[in-house]
Amino acid sequence: MLHIKPIINTLMRSKSGPILLLIQIILSVAIVANASFIISERLALMDRDSGTAEEQVFNFRLYAFDSSIDIESQTQRDMRAIRELPGVIDATTTSMMPLSGGGWSSGYTIGSSEAAAKDTESAAIYYGDEHMINTLGVDLIEGRNFHETEILSGSPDLATHAIVSKAFAKETWGDESAIGQIMYAGDWGNNPLQIIGVVDKLQGAWVNSSFLDNSVILNVRLVNVFTKVLVRAEVGTLALLKQAIPALLHKDQPNRVIDGFTLISEHRKRVYRNHELMAAVLSMMVILLLLITSLGLAGMVMFNIERRTKQIGTRRALGAKRRDILILFLVENYIICIVGGIIGGLVAVQLGQQLMTLYSLPKLELIYPIMTVAGLMVLTTIAVILPARKAANISPAIATRSV
Amino acid sequence: MFFYYLDLAWRSIKKTPLLSLLMVLAISVGISITITTLNVYQLMSVNPAGERSDKLIAVQLWSQGKDVWKEFNAQVTYQDAFNLRKSDLPLRQTAMFVTGLAVQTEDADFSPVLEIVRVTDSDFFGMFAVPFLYGGAWDKRVDSQAAYQVVINQEINKQLFSGEDSVGKTLFLDSKPYQVVGVIKTWNPSPKYFDVTTGAFKDSAQLFIPFSLAPIEEFQSWGNNQGWRRESIDTYSDRLNSEMHWLQYWVEVSDDKQRDEYAQWLAGYVEQQQLLGRFDSPEAAAQLSNVAQWLDLNQVVPEDNKILVGLSALFLLVCLVNMLGLLLAKFLQRAAEVGVRRAIGASRKQIFAQHMVEVGLIGFCGGVLGLIWAWMSLSMLSARFDLEESLTHLDPSMWIIAPAIAICAALLAGIYPAWRICSTNPSVHLKSQ
Repeated sequence: MLHIKPIINTLMRSKSGPILLLIQIILSVAIVANASFIISERLALMDRDSGTAEEQVFNFRLYAFDSSIDIESQTQRDMRAIRELPGVIDATTTSMMPLSGGGWSSGYTIGSSEAAAKDTESAAIYYGDEHMINTLGVDLIEGRNFHETEILSGSPDLATHAIVSKAFAKETWGDESAIGQIMYAGDWGNNPLQIIGVVDKLQGAWVNSSFLDNSVILNVRLVNVFTKVLVRAEVGTLALLKQAIPALLHKDQPNRVIDGFTLISEHRKRVYRNHELMAAVLSMMVILLLLITSLGLAGMVMFNIERRTKQIGTRRALGAKRRDILILFLVENYIICIVGGIIGGLVAVQLGQQLMTLYSLPKLELIYPIMTVAGLMVLTTIAVILPARKAANISPAIATRSV
Repeated sequence: MFFYYLDLAWRSIKKTPLLSLLMVLAISVGISITITTLNVYQLMSVNPAGERSDKLIAVQLWSQGKDVWKEFNAQVTYQDAFNLRKSDLPLRQTAMFVTGLAVQTEDADFSPVLEIVRVTDSDFFGMFAVPFLYGGAWDKRVDSQAAYQVVINQEINKQLFSGEDSVGKTLFLDSKPYQVVGVIKTWNPSPKYFDVTTGAFKDSAQLFIPFSLAPIEEFQSWGNNQGWRRESIDTYSDRLNSEMHWLQYWVEVSDDKQRDEYAQWLAGYVEQQQLLGRFDSPEAAAQLSNVAQWLDLNQVVPEDNKILVGLSALFLLVCLVNMLGLLLAKFLQRAAEVGVRRAIGASRKQIFAQHMVEVGLIGFCGGVLGLIWAWMSLSMLSARFDLEESLTHLDPSMWIIAPAIAICAALLAGIYPAWRICSTNPSVHLKSQ
């Protein structure tokens, strides 16, 4: 009913046009399948949740360059003052900021004895006080928070208690409960840390690392000329607090630089910028490619119709319905599209294979070439039907003219 | 003849405006994508050291213990930097890192600003060809006998001293007075090859102070600090005696012979350190890289960029095949006209040339349009993604490269259709008239 054989014969008679179309479709499928795979992979990366209240939490830095300042008591006074400000929910000092691209990380030593000691995966380290959990807006799902009396001030080595992220607990202790476990910051037996709590989710600073979801919070207020401060405030109050906090702190002690106010959501934007850029450029490429391919297809069909006007007229005169003419062109192009799609799919897998060996890309999933071919079929239908309707309208009388 | 063909080409384009527009659009889109990715690639892969590339050598040491890091670290430890500085083999050399300090002036109303400061040796300025506006580097003696001197750049000079010759004046870094000895012109090599650890496309530091001050003033490192051993670092002298990698080390050699001599000296240094109980990995060695090798080693051009250039080349290919099809359609439509021209004496060569001129014209239009698209997409991307300006300006060479690629590509695509049309037998078409 579809008369595939005569259509193939026609295609074989004038090869150059269909072959060009075929090459174009093969290349398009190869490019679009790989590009859309990379796009969806990047979008999935960007979609991961940091576990924190990203729109509410911001950080700033405080540089006390005057050596006469007693940093420990000054910082405590600063933090109390900040927590009193209108709009502020909570505040703490910190060693790092989620998704910021910079901070502290380390592996730890675990094991029941020195002989059985082994290293854990790396984890981001947040040094802070009992306000840390509320400030970040993370959910404590097991155990408890630090008590105010457990917080120590000074160097990182002082830490004794730890709250860990669920991902880190699972990776380190498996199905066993992490609460009450001991891990060592130094070699086995040195600087023991007792796990007292588990938070549902807290990401570190490095979005391209393998240990992004591993984090620990340790009970130390770092005392340093550079202090990083973490503040959680009502959404939209940052603009005001950006003025109010320096004014407040400078009134107390002017010899300090206070700057770098940044929301976690802003860190997120910056840290994922390259992925977003890649996704944007590739999307642009895919859209333009599909546009060009379908315009090219439509152009070829238009040309074919003009060339075959007499032929179509004759067919109409011999009893072909308008629908038959439409179907003729559709089938003709579907054949090219399917053949091109199959070869293109194979080329796409090959290209994906090459990209995987040359660069650190994951293996192309088969669904992408398949989806691309399906999409291309839809596009072919549209690109063919519009000009082919014109062909169907060719009057049978044409055939009798100028013969 | 060329201009006559050009005239014919223009008439032909006007006769089928839609088809011609389609072709110009196709090629312009292909060109714009290619130029956009190529432009970023080219700006990233540029070697800013130019002809000095072979003379400037980055030093790396495999000082880590067994089974820790599987490659050379980009930076060296303070102990090693301290020992390497004693060698007088290289022409010039410097150890360095970045820190941040609060800048104040004698003007009490000037509120302190935090600036990135590079802590380095006097040779830095000569090695990396830093242009001076006033004054110069500090004296070489300062590298061994610390003195509170500073080199600032033009912008800071404008901000602090309203742009006048400030050599000899005083500014305060963390409340300590420093004497200005030199003001450099705006200098921002991109990529910032001498320190890729803190973002190769970020701006360079605004102030420079002597490395010899580091143990005295205990400047914090704002760069990467990587340790392979768990060691507790409480005080600054702990840090200086630690195995932590945090300093960049560069030497300048006069020729390859000196480079080999220095490599030999370094091999000796590694052996000597092994006797002292350090460098206990079997892979312990020193590695020297010139600037080109260094940029390659540190993958300054991200993988993503290479993938994009590859995909956009394929994209251009699709545009060409597309154009080839359309050209074929267009030319064959004109077969009758060509038949008449052939019948009244035009040679095949002339018909071929005429069509190639037409194709070239389409390619040229596509190239120019593509360049405009590329410029638009680059400025759109830089606005949307807040990219470093050094990566998104359109490289002047693109004004030549874009139309050249476009014309070449179009001509390539045009050969087959033009050959088809000039090889058809005129009598066939004349008969059917």
